[in-house]
Amino acid sequence: MTDVTTETIGVHVDGVSKIFAHRVKGEVYAARDVRLDVAPGEFLTLLGPSGCGKTTTLRMIAGFEQPDAGRILFGGQDVTHMPTNQRNIGFVFQNYALFPHLSVAENVAYGLEVRGLPARETAQRVRDVLQLVGLKGYEQQFSGQLSGGEQQRVALARAIVIRPRVLLFDEPLSNLDAKLRVQMRTEIRDLQRRLAITTVYVTHDQEEAMAVSDRIAVMNQGSVVQDGTAEDLYHRPESEFVATFVGRVNLVPGRIVAVADGEATVAALGTQLRAHLAGSGFAAGEAVKLVLRPEAVELVPGAGASLKATVRSRMFLGEKVEYVLQCADVTLQAVRSGGAPGADIADGAVVGLCFAPGALTVLPERTS
Amino acid sequence: MPAPLASFRRDPAVSLTVFALWALLALFVVYPLATLLGRVLFDQGTFSAAGLLTILTDKHQVRAFWNSLLLALLVGIGGTIVGFLFAFTAARCRLPRWLLTAIDVAVLLPLVSPPFTTAIAMIFSFGPRGLITYDLLGLKGVTVYGLTSTMLSEAVTYFPIAYLTLRPILAAIDSNVEGMALSLGASRWRVFRTVTLPLTIPGLANAFLLLFAASLADFATPLILAGNQFPVLPTQAYLQITGMFDLRGGAVLSLMLLFPALIVFLLQRYWVGRRFYVTVTGKGAGQTPFDSVAPVIRYALLAACALVTVVILYFYALLLYASLVKALGANHTLTLQHYKVIFTEGWKAIRDTLIIAGFAMPLGGLYGILLGYLVTRKAFAGRRTMEMVSMINYALPGTIVGIAYLIAFNDPPIELTGTALIIVACYVFRYGPTGIRATVALLQQIDKSLEEASQGLGAGSSTTFRRVTLPLILPAFFAGLGVVFIRSMTAISATIFLVSISWTLITVKILENMTELSLGPAAAFSVLVVAIVFVVIALIGRLLRWFRAPGVGQMTSMLGG
Repeated sequence: MTDVTTETIGVHVDGVSKIFAHRVKGEVYAARDVRLDVAPGEFLTLLGPSGCGKTTTLRMIAGFEQPDAGRILFGGQDVTHMPTNQRNIGFVFQNYALFPHLSVAENVAYGLEVRGLPARETAQRVRDVLQLVGLKGYEQQFSGQLSGGEQQRVALARAIVIRPRVLLFDEPLSNLDAKLRVQMRTEIRDLQRRLAITTVYVTHDQEEAMAVSDRIAVMNQGSVVQDGTAEDLYHRPESEFVATFVGRVNLVPGRIVAVADGEATVAALGTQLRAHLAGSGFAAGEAVKLVLRPEAVELVPGAGASLKATVRSRMFLGEKVEYVLQCADVTLQAVRSGGAPGADIADGAVVGLCFAPGALTVLPERTS
Repeated sequence: MPAPLASFRRDPAVSLTVFALWALLALFVVYPLATLLGRVLFDQGTFSAAGLLTILTDKHQVRAFWNSLLLALLVGIGGTIVGFLFAFTAARCRLPRWLLTAIDVAVLLPLVSPPFTTAIAMIFSFGPRGLITYDLLGLKGVTVYGLTSTMLSEAVTYFPIAYLTLRPILAAIDSNVEGMALSLGASRWRVFRTVTLPLTIPGLANAFLLLFAASLADFATPLILAGNQFPVLPTQAYLQITGMFDLRGGAVLSLMLLFPALIVFLLQRYWVGRRFYVTVTGKGAGQTPFDSVAPVIRYALLAACALVTVVILYFYALLLYASLVKALGANHTLTLQHYKVIFTEGWKAIRDTLIIAGFAMPLGGLYGILLGYLVTRKAFAGRRTMEMVSMINYALPGTIVGIAYLIAFNDPPIELTGTALIIVACYVFRYGPTGIRATVALLQQIDKSLEEASQGLGAGSSTTFRRVTLPLILPAFFAGLGVVFIRSMTAISATIFLVSISWTLITVKILENMTELSLGPAAAFSVLVVAIVFVVIALIGRLLRWFRAPGVGQMTSMLGG
């Protein structure tokens, strides 16, 4: 081996900001005081709607953009002003950016040749990586002759063959059809686990984010609004934005009756419910919203239930059935598995409701 | 540290190239034009409008001005109509491949011919002893000279520009848009009227302006065909200088051309250019999924195109024939005499032209990609200005450029008259800009992520340029080479003022032969030029295919714009 075996390092984004001049709005923050800590070998996803600053942040980590403030560190080394080509990163573009004038093998070999690796080793590593991504035999093809999934694999191979310190993905799956997207994200995930490369991944697709990541940082309007595991974000959102952006949600209006030990008793849906508090500073009497996931709503026989609802409509989707329920003056969505034939509940039926333990989270009424 | 110094430290190669290009642009674009203006507006160092007024109040010259505009207007309209006819037929009539190729070749011929070709053929056919007027119809004492013949000849010469502008636009219109209109119940005619045509209007305006500019600047055709009764500006400027030795008068006349030419150029680039509905990627959209043209109309369109094609082919066949007989119209004995003449007496012109073209071609190609790359991909102060300045010599009628060079480089400090360098420089800065435009257009299609991917993989900016950018803009380089070479073989309007005893050109020889009425050698020269140009186009096509770049069509389309 002529090159140094890459040590696994963490990435630290330290209060980075980027300002763009907008034609109409004037100066806008594409990223505002973004702080991220990616542990060595960790897979972190930046998730958010378009224009939230996730791609800008990624491009600053890559060195394609210069931050206006803040620092970027690779394993303790300040790389803020280091040119892209010295950072030793692997970058996978949304459009793959395969060199159209080079063959698959030449594309993959490019980064190795730039590093001056001997031809023999280059050839060996190109062979190995193409085998790894399942493109053996494609060496002499050109990008124009490849399908979207194959191009994606070439881009991936080209990025990992240089054994980068950090692997960066910018919406890599958005040009693929739905089925391939699911397949490729599994492959990316497996590959990253196997190679244990510190990875930052950008997507606007929350399901994709949850499928691939160790940890997700949700961004909105240039800032990270919450970061944590997929479970954290899903079950314990700290803002209405995160609650609605990650998964489907019922937001139930209510009023706090009492607060104790990080939990609250909330008056909602004509009854009193116990719910987890997102953050502190809640006081009795405050108007709040309760986060309630549709699948946490359990439908039970109406007779004797303390909380009743009417089925307004339902949609049979095979593996699951979706219901729209009217409970007091609130419309709720509920989901349950398809179940056995004939087990369905008819429109207009009155059902009882109960919620899975710990399913409710209290958010302040004031929007985030 | 001041900004320029900082950018120099960061990228000295870029800074040096920018500096060198500015120096060249100042010398070969700004300086000649400034000298021309100075000559017109100043007399012995003092401001004087007298020279300007003498010409501007001369009725004859004012008529030449209006004549030029009238001719350009008619050629613009006529050429655009014929060009659209061809483009629509090619794009919508589901022609077999061979027929499309035939159309392309027929259309290419006028574009790559020396400037007098159609004019000569017009005289051979419709002159006082013309094959058609005299031999076929038995008419006597007809005169071919005037507005009608000049207009027809220019329309035949320049309609390919309209064809090349319009065809990609028609091909790029998403056929689903037309299909949608049809599915909503519109008739084919209505679809054409309400969808196809409106989407093509910016293209039509563009084609019209390009033809208008080409006709306005055309020097060769009116010199042969316009005659005394229909003076136009470029020829008047030429006669003022060569006939009356009035350099200043010629300068004033050429400047009268400047204003309409400038207005048309600005309209074309900054107004029409922004109003395109369809982006032409060079990739043709799929075949029209429905028959957008009724069978009857299809045959009518084909017949009309065939007619024009036959006229063009007849012109060129006639030219070939004229080069092979003793004296067309008088003695039709076959002979190679004229070719013998051009390869003996005319050999110097052929050699000079090839040498000049041989130098201008690589220099022009290099200039094109360098400037094109810098203004699109590198940020430096004044890069918009640089792009605009680089376009000046290209946009101006050749007559202005030629006279400006003549005035600027005739005397010290920079004396170039009589050298090959002045002609080479003229071609590089006049036709190199096609390479600039091709490079800019190509780079705009190449996503920046390709260069970023290279950087991300560890390559520095020079490696990235060499390994990624350069191979991708090679087609533009070759296209630029081709255009500069072809124009070096066929241009006359600027260089007629720059030739000398030491260095002359084939096109100038053709003109001399025409005025001496030795039409045989003129025809032989023209055939030779067409042959050389076709060989070069074929070679460049080969090269481009070898580099896996489908750029031949692009090169021929640049001959127009």
